Amino acid sequence: MAEPIPRWKAYALSLLTLLVPGLSHWFLGKRRRALLLFLIVAATFVVGIALKGALFSFGAPNWLYRLGAIAESGLGLPYLVGILASIAKLDPAESASLMFGYGNVFLVTSGLMNMLLIMDAFDIAVGRKD
Amino acid sequence: MLNDHFITLVLFSLLVACFFGVLNHRDLRGFFISIAKTMGWMVLGSLAFAYLMLWTGR
Repeated sequence: MAEPIPRWKAYALSLLTLLVPGLSHWFLGKRRRALLLFLIVAATFVVGIALKGALFSFGAPNWLYRLGAIAESGLGLPYLVGILASIAKLDPAESASLMFGYGNVFLVTSGLMNMLLIMDAFDIAVGRKD
Repeated sequence: MLNDHFITLVLFSLLVACFFGVLNHRDLRGFFISIAKTMGWMVLGSLAFAYLMLWTGR
């Protein structure tokens, strides 16, 4: 197990995942794992976009979409860029399509995966996990 | 191809299974057993649920 580092550093390192999924693991020396985790989260995100899922904003019209926004915001920078650049914007006409729900599941899951990566990186940084 | 319900389900299950396999297992054997278990309950569970919905919706 790696030598534990100061807590503030552990927080800062684990939050790097908000920039690029897996970046924290990369800097913690878990490079192969970081690469695999990046590929998995990126693939989930891309498939979600390809299936016409929406990146929900916090001002979405109903609470279910706002819950989706909380989960998707776990992606960090990719979510922020997507919202600002209006990529995969919520289109009410699209919500009736068959694949809309599936796309959202992929996007929400990619955000939740990234949140788990942040917590996992923190555990590694403080020496709770190898 | 992605517009097929079953392929989408399998792809989603595979991504989730790989994620937890990579996150929680360091050895290759544990990784593959984890993937098989997660895929098993996700795919079979989803199919069982879909069948239940069809069955109760008649």
